[in-house]
Amino acid sequence: MFLAIREMHRAKVRFGLLIAAIALLVFLILFQQSLQNGLLTSFVGGIRNQSAPVLVYAVDGQRVIQGSVITPELEAQIRDLPEVDGVGRINQGTFSIRTDDGELIDASVFGYEDETLGAPTTIVEGRLPAGSAEGVASSADADLGFAVGQVVTVLPGGYTIEIVGLASEAQLNAGPTVYVDAATYGDVVVAGNPDAGEPLPNVLGLRPADGVSEADLVAAVNAISDDLDALTRSDAADLTPGVAQVQQSFQIIFALYAIVVPCVTGLFFLIVTFQKTRALTLLRALGAPPGRLVRSLLFQALLIVAGGYLIGTLLYYPVSQLRLGGIALQFETTAVIGWAVALVVLGLASSLVAARRVLRIDPIDATTGQGVGS
Amino acid sequence: MRIALRELRRQPGRFVTATIILTLIAVLLMFLGSLLDGLLRNATGAIRAQDGEVLVYSPDAGASFARSRIDPEVRTAVEGVDGVAEVGGIGLVQLGARVPGAGPRDLAGVALFGVEIPPRGVDELPATGEAYADEVLRADGVEIGTELLLGPARSPITVVGFVSDTAFAGQGGLWTTTDTWRAVVDENRPDARVADGVVQALLVRADDGIGSGDLAGAIDAASDGRTESFTLDDAIAAIPGVEEQEGTFNQIIGVTIAVAVVVIALFFALLTVERTSLYGVLKALGARSTTLFSGLVVQAVVVTAIAAAIAGVLVVVLDLVIPPGSLPLTVTAGRIAVSTVLLLVAAVVGCGFSLRRILKIDPASAIGSSS
Repeated sequence: MFLAIREMHRAKVRFGLLIAAIALLVFLILFQQSLQNGLLTSFVGGIRNQSAPVLVYAVDGQRVIQGSVITPELEAQIRDLPEVDGVGRINQGTFSIRTDDGELIDASVFGYEDETLGAPTTIVEGRLPAGSAEGVASSADADLGFAVGQVVTVLPGGYTIEIVGLASEAQLNAGPTVYVDAATYGDVVVAGNPDAGEPLPNVLGLRPADGVSEADLVAAVNAISDDLDALTRSDAADLTPGVAQVQQSFQIIFALYAIVVPCVTGLFFLIVTFQKTRALTLLRALGAPPGRLVRSLLFQALLIVAGGYLIGTLLYYPVSQLRLGGIALQFETTAVIGWAVALVVLGLASSLVAARRVLRIDPIDATTGQGVGS
Repeated sequence: MRIALRELRRQPGRFVTATIILTLIAVLLMFLGSLLDGLLRNATGAIRAQDGEVLVYSPDAGASFARSRIDPEVRTAVEGVDGVAEVGGIGLVQLGARVPGAGPRDLAGVALFGVEIPPRGVDELPATGEAYADEVLRADGVEIGTELLLGPARSPITVVGFVSDTAFAGQGGLWTTTDTWRAVVDENRPDARVADGVVQALLVRADDGIGSGDLAGAIDAASDGRTESFTLDDAIAAIPGVEEQEGTFNQIIGVTIAVAVVVIALFFALLTVERTSLYGVLKALGARSTTLFSGLVVQAVVVTAIAAAIAGVLVVVLDLVIPPGSLPLTVTAGRIAVSTVLLLVAAVVGCGFSLRRILKIDPASAIGSSS
């Protein structure tokens, strides 16, 4: 190990550049991991963290709450199902909201008829609305004017809502989300569009009857009509348009990064091993066991990858506290640990190619001059 | 420089490793850029296709069609502004469309625009109940003559032609008259119903010689605060998420370029160390440091150009292999060219790390160390 460290000390630029490359790549990987998770949470966190175990969309809505409309006929058929214990109407729309500071922000307003079928389940401050003109906001947006006690104004129309609670990971459509009761939602719609009729429910939240599983309830509802699209809560979140696209896009990006990092590490050590073949041959001739040389090589690889990873993580930490538009990033501890293990393993594995070359060195070449030059 | 090129031809294996890694980085760069282009294209096509200069929304709508309402009185005020040549109403509703032959739950997402001034690519507005469809809807089985059934009310719309690059919010555009749009909204979205004469936005054409920015300002001044007007570029930037997407992706692309600089610097630093003796001999024979450095730059540029070319082919193949609609990827020659230029600049900058080492090579000691 002494020689390994001395070599790195003497070739600071080369090893420094490699550490810098790995650090930048690690920063990009972790930043995009936060971006992916933040994007997904900001799009569908509100669906994942509401109280209805089963959601029923109209097929026409294509699994977008705002785009779905359940007709009275279909609603009646659902209510008549023996597999259903409870039905709650849910509405959601996007509005311009003016905060106390005068800022105009695009926000989702989510109205639920029954607290047990649609209300947010991750209250971190305050309480659920107890009546009209009260709402719970997504906690990620508290600093934007949606803190408890603040009043927001829905435009057009000027309907005001007092924020009485905050819920974590409760955003929809990558923006602030305010949860209100059904009556408040109806008032908001009429205030903005006096020509509007009574809003039909966008989605129905269902609770299965005793002894009925969520999957059975979904199947029973879908059997009623091809116009209905029942999903469990987790499926509704995962199958929201755009979620799969975001995940697939990032998977391709992460796969490319996962190939680049070990390639850079492995090929660097292969080139360096070629360059010091003469020195390695001499060391073998002087009695250095091959295992020691390989351990020295792997030690360098471990130091490089670990050092680059540490620097990359330090670069990532302050960025993970930022907010990008409507997306609140956060430090993804699980991802940091997971990628650390993966990149160390890949980095060491890629160095084995160079290690194989070291093992093939024949000390006799030192006496013939083949390995050390004439 | 001739020696540098000759070395590339005679010992290509020496440069394979750098080429492979640069190809991967180039693929990453081009993929990120194409993803950004695809996202922006899908989100903004409908606005870019507008054949006018200014879009007028109601104030506090945040440049959102769905939240904007322009009533006839406001429209009259806009029409009376100096510099306004023509005004056309716009309405939008986003629905699922049933395509004949598709499964009962396989709907195509469409953005139905009712307009009075047809978008670019449409010569004349269709008749009531008809529409021009965006090309992307061909992937859903839509053809000329197809009768789409929109929304829960199954409002029939017959496709009479196609236009390209008119998507909005990731959905294919359908372009029809405001009467058809109003009827579809009445049938499918009772809570979004608007009265006769009311539209969601106005497209304004300017008289010759009038700047779009100036006209937008004049309209808002004349309407006494009842409008919020945007040039088309500003309207695109106001679409939620567009600026954030562009900013974030460009930052990621920038850091990826930095990675390319470091990787190039690394590999050519390694090669320079290996060739210290050779450079010493060349210097002893009279070669100047600038000549040696230029050779290095040429090699880096050639290797990078080859990597970019391979990456360009791979990204095009990736685009062909990926099923339509699964990823918002738009691969263009422009994006590939820009990525290639950025990588070539990174190649030149990366080589700069080796310049100091080349300058420090002493011919006498370099020759001595090789014997």
